[in-house]
Amino acid sequence: MNSTSFIETEDLTKGYSSGQIEVVALKDVNLSVREGKFLGVTGPSGSGKSTLMNLLGGLDTPTSGRIKVQGKFISELNKEELALYRRYQVGMIFQSFNIISSYSALENVAFPLLFAGVGKKERKQRASQMLTKVGLCPRKDHRPPELSAGEQQRVAIARALINQPKILLADEPTGNLDSTTSRQIVQMLSDLNKNQGLTVIMISHEESLVRRFAHEIIHLCDGKIVEQEKIR
Amino acid sequence: MRISDYIEQSFSNLRKKKLRTFLTTSGVMIGIGALVSMLSFGRGVQKNITDRFKELDLFNYITVFPRSEQSQAKQSSANNEAEEDETQQVRVLDDDFIQEVTKIKGVESAFPEVRFPALVRFKGKQKFTLIQVLSADIGRSGLVKFRAGRPYAPDDANSLIISDILLRRMKVKDPQTAIGEKIEVSTLMLDSDLLSPANITSVIQGDKLPFSQEGYTFTIVGVAERMGFGGAMPLRSDVYIAPAASKKMKKVSLTSIQDFFQSSQQAKGYSAVNIKVSSVRYIEPVKARIEDLGLKTFAVIDELEEIKTVFIFMDMFLFALGMIAITVASLAIINTMVMSILERYKEIGIMKAVGASDRDVKKIFFFESGVIGFLGGVFGLALGWVVSMLINQVANYFLAKQAVPYIDYFSFPWWLCLGAVIFPILISLVAGIYPASRAARVDPVVALRHD
Repeated sequence: MNSTSFIETEDLTKGYSSGQIEVVALKDVNLSVREGKFLGVTGPSGSGKSTLMNLLGGLDTPTSGRIKVQGKFISELNKEELALYRRYQVGMIFQSFNIISSYSALENVAFPLLFAGVGKKERKQRASQMLTKVGLCPRKDHRPPELSAGEQQRVAIARALINQPKILLADEPTGNLDSTTSRQIVQMLSDLNKNQGLTVIMISHEESLVRRFAHEIIHLCDGKIVEQEKIR
Repeated sequence: MRISDYIEQSFSNLRKKKLRTFLTTSGVMIGIGALVSMLSFGRGVQKNITDRFKELDLFNYITVFPRSEQSQAKQSSANNEAEEDETQQVRVLDDDFIQEVTKIKGVESAFPEVRFPALVRFKGKQKFTLIQVLSADIGRSGLVKFRAGRPYAPDDANSLIISDILLRRMKVKDPQTAIGEKIEVSTLMLDSDLLSPANITSVIQGDKLPFSQEGYTFTIVGVAERMGFGGAMPLRSDVYIAPAASKKMKKVSLTSIQDFFQSSQQAKGYSAVNIKVSSVRYIEPVKARIEDLGLKTFAVIDELEEIKTVFIFMDMFLFALGMIAITVASLAIINTMVMSILERYKEIGIMKAVGASDRDVKKIFFFESGVIGFLGGVFGLALGWVVSMLINQVANYFLAKQAVPYIDYFSFPWWLCLGAVIFPILISLVAGIYPASRAARVDPVVALRHD
């Protein structure tokens, strides 16, 4: 494995069994991402993009192979350690935003701090600051149904960043957004990458959008990396 | 996560589903309310009985009876022949016995129990009752609680004390109005005319009983409460007269059919003697001394263990009834929590995605369960208290009409109140084990895809 890599996978394989049928979602994926880079992941539906994202985000465990993040093999962590990894080292955003509709924007952003044992007052303060950064402070008391899709995704970004992770994983973050808002959101991710040195891995169908911001693109097909391209 | 956050989250999540939380909590509340009411009733009854016994000094009394012919026969057949040759000394419960017994260490006083049947007539109403001969000393002691009037003097042969309950049965509501009034007492006595050769045939054939009535007029000097059944040990009748009054009356002192079968020797003495000891610790030694004289004894304290066993059974029965309600309530909690997991399936996925461990998720649902139990316990305790108080008021309202003094039929000791809150929390936590474990096992990848 490459010692300079920030995120690295080694023969990463993930299979699912659906009754008697074995489905291989990822097959021997070897990937290396350096710190502070913006990696775009593209590929058709069912190519294994989300599976790769879930494995890198510590939500799922591989069938075989290894994942190394910041020198630690996260594929060997137990459930409790994986929870800590998700809490402090990685932030995730999704196509469907995955924010809690009964919570206000502020409560959604503060939610991860609850599991970090942060006090109520500090939770509010930090969440408020984060919402200001994503330009949503005036809307902090609004619930998700009262927010536009773009605003909801910005709440999700703020929540992903609240514990100051080093990695941001974005799974089709623009899938439910119009083109203008999509550009704004990816621009925001790019700014975070440039200004804060955040390592960003983003899945997208829109290759042109990825191409505008990413340093590197990988193309997945049938669970394998079929093409790896350095943009800049 | 901090404990305060778990609690706050639980209340916040339960508030979001107000109706369901209300219904589930109501289940626990009714269960705990029923349990609290029943246990407090059980406790109340026990407390009332033991407190009354203590108040009336019942634990300090020994009643002495002459040994029956049958038991004497049993005893002598069990003894060896040498002893059988000895003349069986049957101790008679007479004044000599009373004097002798009073000298035993620990004995405060001893008095005979003399009762005879009579018919009392007052203001046009008549009732059958047992009249008891009570020395003026006891009448003046704190045992007799006067509602009106005063005790009689030792040599007062024309006055009596009557219970408020008997007066009420004779439709006299205000005890004060009875004081100084005349009351007629008729006793039974053997009719010598009916026993004459001319009438004996009809007596033998059972057409007539060889008894006649003898009437006496007394003045009511006192009306006392808590006499007769439920009264202090020496106060077992509803009408009391002084020994001087008893002496002038012609009567047959038969209180039960057993009195017919007493030996002639026994018949000379009293049917029973009550002994009061200064402390409970003297009960056993005094009883032993008296039993050595060949007499039978009875002490309420001996029955206490038996009463306690009855109480334990009563508690267990009430507890079992309450537990049925609690079991149903805990099933409702499981149902509510499982429903909650299904509804918040995606939320659990989000929790895990932002860093919640399985343990965090388990605790969140566990605390929610506990909060339902806590709310059910607090409101259940309040409900149980309110219901108990209502029943108590209604019961006392009706019993007051029969001159029964006000009694708290329900008792709420501190442990019952504390238990009423802690117990449902524990039950809810047990009910929450399965839903909480199920929530913790949720696969975040599947949950995040869930709509």
